[in-house]
Amino acid sequence: MSFLDTVRGMKFFDMHVHMTSRTTDDYQAMADAGIVAVIEPAFWLGQPRTGVDSFRDYFASLVGWERFRASQFGIRHYCTIGLNSKEANNEALAEQVMEILPLFIYKEGVVGVGEIGFDDQTPAEEKYYRAQLDLAKEAGLPVQIHTPHRDKKQGTSRSMDIALEHGLDPGMVIVDHNNEETVKEVLDRGFWAGFTIYPFTKMGNERMVEVVKQYGPERIMINSAADWGISDPLALPKTASLMKERGISDETIRLVTFENAVTAFAQSGQISLADFEQPIDIDQSQRYNGSSVLRGGQAPRVDKSSTIIK
Amino acid sequence: MNSPALSDTLLDLIRQQPDAEKAVAYLTQQADAYRNQPTTAVFYRVFTAIPRFVGKQTIRISPEQAQEIQSLRNGFTVEGWSLDRLARVWWLLQLPADDPAVYVSTIENLFKAAEMNELAALYSAIPVLSFPEHWRFQATEGVRSNMSPVQDALMLQNPYPAEQLDEPAWNQLVMKAFFCDKPVEEILGFEKRTNETLARIAVDYAHERRAAGRTIPPQLWTLVKPFVTEANRAELEGLLRTHGAAGAPV
Repeated sequence: MSFLDTVRGMKFFDMHVHMTSRTTDDYQAMADAGIVAVIEPAFWLGQPRTGVDSFRDYFASLVGWERFRASQFGIRHYCTIGLNSKEANNEALAEQVMEILPLFIYKEGVVGVGEIGFDDQTPAEEKYYRAQLDLAKEAGLPVQIHTPHRDKKQGTSRSMDIALEHGLDPGMVIVDHNNEETVKEVLDRGFWAGFTIYPFTKMGNERMVEVVKQYGPERIMINSAADWGISDPLALPKTASLMKERGISDETIRLVTFENAVTAFAQSGQISLADFEQPIDIDQSQRYNGSSVLRGGQAPRVDKSSTIIK
Repeated sequence: MNSPALSDTLLDLIRQQPDAEKAVAYLTQQADAYRNQPTTAVFYRVFTAIPRFVGKQTIRISPEQAQEIQSLRNGFTVEGWSLDRLARVWWLLQLPADDPAVYVSTIENLFKAAEMNELAALYSAIPVLSFPEHWRFQATEGVRSNMSPVQDALMLQNPYPAEQLDEPAWNQLVMKAFFCDKPVEEILGFEKRTNETLARIAVDYAHERRAAGRTIPPQLWTLVKPFVTEANRAELEGLLRTHGAAGAPV
């Protein structure tokens, strides 16, 4: 049986996915698999940017074009805006990016400051991580923290220490990319714990099932972090299917794949559970009324198995 | 055009919307604060924050009010707008225009950092901005947009393009509107600004649609009609007047 059959009727909120790096086929497949909303954290595009205008255009695309593109597939698109840790190391540029962040963090659909935190754990990374925590606090926005691949456990602890030092309520902070080694401390200290199902470098979903069995659903949320690497935008529905097969309750699955993320990011005032009761009618009509993704007159759905293209 | 009068009229219209007390209080308070301390930071912040304070419901407007707006700015209409869009356009009218360079760069920076609804408001405001000739390139950027609410704000029920765009830019707007299935009858100046080049492009487009086995929009005829000659009448009527949306004679 296909995982799609197992999860039919469920809805999912992928609270970390980089749709800028994905295709319309992904959007279609995600919508078909029950993904109704996504958060796209601002991140590193695979190579460093050389000027502030590149950041400006990227941020503008997250609140503009990408949001619209998602809506055409019936998917609500939110984002978090921030200077990622890798590019914080270019201090001259980082200063200029910090100057334009206030232009974006109050926009519609911006549900937090993110993804920020440590990559290499350099002094420059720390400096801009701290500055952005202050910005989030001032704006009353949640923070989405990227935890490092290397020296992960200590980097995660340190990220939380600094957030507390800046007076953030742990309930306003989502610590992402957890694993078996970091989760206990994150939950014990009252932070939200994000888990990324991403082959080879982050979590596998069988491990995820065990984590949920051990810790329960409270303050845990799952994402795909799908991007330009070998990753899977259907990680959420696949993991939900596996959890169901392995005896985890529907209610727990709903919390860790949908509701906890809504609850955490609803603190931005830009998103609420009630939003999801409303179909996105306007976007459905836009879908037929013309855009470059689904040009006017073209059937909005194409049969992928057919060799005929009309 | 008379900006202070238009600004007053738009604020009155906001005031008359159901449950608008909070919106009006916010807007007048911010306008006072901005007059006392006219910094671009305040101007940008309010422009972005407007939906949070005024809401997004569709506005109500009487025929008399619509008429009054038309008398202040010919062709300008706010019907069908959401309240946040109306409030943002009103807010743009609060920007002092005494220094053209500052005025223009302030608004251009709003365009650069705008999300979709902000872009729709900015393009809706283009006909009431100062220095009308300055916004010609920006208007063509609106035509190039991929987001349909943004395209609509510039292309439909907006007097600016017909007044300011040169012929190539106008023709591009009209054909993009067809290409995106817009209700082209809502393009102001649609009939009046047709031209020989546009008529030729429209005929080519109809041929292309026919070759692809797609329907031919009946409104193309409006563009072509003034340039029909006795020599090509039969052919064009055959192409454009008998291949309407339903395939039935128009």
